[in-house]
Amino acid sequence: MNVDVKEYLPLLIPLIAVQFSLLAYTIVHILRHKSYKRGSRTLWLIVSIVGMEFIGPILYFILGKEED
Amino acid sequence: MNVLEVRDIRKSFGSKKVLQGVSFSVPENCIFGFIGRNGAGKTTTMRAVLGMLRTDGGEIEVLGERVSFGRPPAGGRVGFLPDVPEYYGYMNAGEYLTLCGSISGMDSKDIKNRCEELLTLVGLSGEKHRIKGYSRGMKQRLGIAQALMGRPDLLICDEPTSALDPVGRKDILDIISAAKEQCSVVFSTHILSDVERICSRVAFIEGGKTAFSGSIEEIRALRRDTALMLTLSRPEDAEKVLGGFPAGSKDSSDPGRIVFPKASDRDCGELMAFLSAQKIPIIRLERHEADLEDLFMEVIGK
Amino acid sequence: MKGFGAFFMKELRELVRTKRLMLILGVFTVIGIMDPAIAKLTPKLYEMMAEDLKSQGITMGEIKVTAMDCWAQYVKNIPMGLIVLLIIFCGIYTSEYSKGTLIPLFTKGLSRSSVVLSKFAVMVLTWTAGSWLCFGVTYFYSGFYWDNSAVKNLLFSGFGWWLFGVLMISLIVFFSAFAYSPAQVILGAGAVYFAMTLIGMYSKAGKYLPVSLTDSLSLYKGETVPDDCLAAAAITAALSLALVLAALPLTRDRKI
Repeated sequence: MNVDVKEYLPLLIPLIAVQFSLLAYTIVHILRHKSYKRGSRTLWLIVSIVGMEFIGPILYFILGKEED
Repeated sequence: MNVLEVRDIRKSFGSKKVLQGVSFSVPENCIFGFIGRNGAGKTTTMRAVLGMLRTDGGEIEVLGERVSFGRPPAGGRVGFLPDVPEYYGYMNAGEYLTLCGSISGMDSKDIKNRCEELLTLVGLSGEKHRIKGYSRGMKQRLGIAQALMGRPDLLICDEPTSALDPVGRKDILDIISAAKEQCSVVFSTHILSDVERICSRVAFIEGGKTAFSGSIEEIRALRRDTALMLTLSRPEDAEKVLGGFPAGSKDSSDPGRIVFPKASDRDCGELMAFLSAQKIPIIRLERHEADLEDLFMEVIGK
Repeated sequence: MKGFGAFFMKELRELVRTKRLMLILGVFTVIGIMDPAIAKLTPKLYEMMAEDLKSQGITMGEIKVTAMDCWAQYVKNIPMGLIVLLIIFCGIYTSEYSKGTLIPLFTKGLSRSSVVLSKFAVMVLTWTAGSWLCFGVTYFYSGFYWDNSAVKNLLFSGFGWWLFGVLMISLIVFFSAFAYSPAQVILGAGAVYFAMTLIGMYSKAGKYLPVSLTDSLSLYKGETVPDDCLAAAAITAALSLALVLAALPLTRDRKI
């Protein structure tokens, strides 16, 4: 199987850029906060990294982030 | 004209009768203390005054206008500080006051000036942090600032000092005293020393009814005759004293102590003359001023 | 309607500062990129499977991906974006009611209708930005790899999804007028959605139901034309308006 990577670059670059910035933002947010609505820091770090296909960060922001 | 007139309001939640006839009136330019135990109906009364609660009966007039559920006092004329004020944590104090000002319909220059003025008054002027990091005391102070933002004629505070430490309480009381220059103030509390410190009129509420309402002077007059307490160094002298002053009675817990429940200034002088003539040694002769606490206890029947 | 402007600005600031806007736009961008990515990867996946199948004696023909496959992915994935948006917004009213943040503002003369309508406006604006961003990204890639002209009624299908989302947002507004928690709001909106889908499956009235707006595939293939959906679109718009209008008196009488 030979996939021509170049053909996918226009898709991959923005996708990776958006996903990684969301992931990076989430991790920074988790590390900057001491308390969460539920769960612990370790739990949310694992969830956001394992579910990095933007599901993890969304779960964190909906379920874990403390209300301001 | 009275800024606030409450006549015989009633409210029950289900079978629980919370208010069973609360009446009082607040004249202009005074600080009015609304006193009652936890659960006596203070917050319910205040919510009714603000038109946030449907009452079962009675009349409320704020600044000469009738108030009922769905017809709150005209916007901006009454400032309110809830018992536990909640704000938007992502704003800072200045932004929140600006929001309040623009809702009140003030123009932007006025908002800016009023903001600075109030933040200085409540001691939050240097505060650039967002509200989510505020302590209880800071939130209460911001609460007074937001309540005063629209230059109200009446400021209503629900238990502004109850959850604060002594320093925070003093700050709030000072701010409320300063606010008196701008408007009348009604505040509810169960802390009697706060009332004695700043109020000129009070109402006691107990069991959903106003038990007493009047000025601080009227309260003092009500209990003009104060109690005298005499402690003798030799308990055996007690009979001698009681022989001369049958109004007194022995304290059951201490045989050397005699209490004269209602003693005028003259009674006091006569007692001292009697003691010195008989050469009776004493440890202490004390006049017990009637304070709010006594009255409060009397009112609630304890 | 006193205080509408001021409260609307407050809602916008909240949207930005609580990072909701960033999160929602991020999700819609990702979905927009995923549509062509999945469509493009599908034949490769089949190729891998085909090798397995060949050993079992089954042969598969060459699959050719077109813009149609890409837009089929759009129809599959856009509901995910809408669901994320609804979950993020389902507590927008109830959390303010239960926390009491509105009480100081009400005493300053803010009307309850202003609160209901400015939050509705902000949600619709966010949904508009998000759904059309997703549409735009998909459109761009679909045109880049394939040919968009092979797919019919694209803009109208985008509009159908948008209008359907507005209805779902109106359901949030309506249920928030009397619900006490975000969970009740989202359950209510979900229940209405399932009821509509069920009726659509077993009844002839399906054609007039708002869910029929989301049947984009038949539009793409040209089996239906926009005119067929006009009745459903009008009903959806009228229903949204009715829900929001009904929320106004309900909220006015709500105990806060």
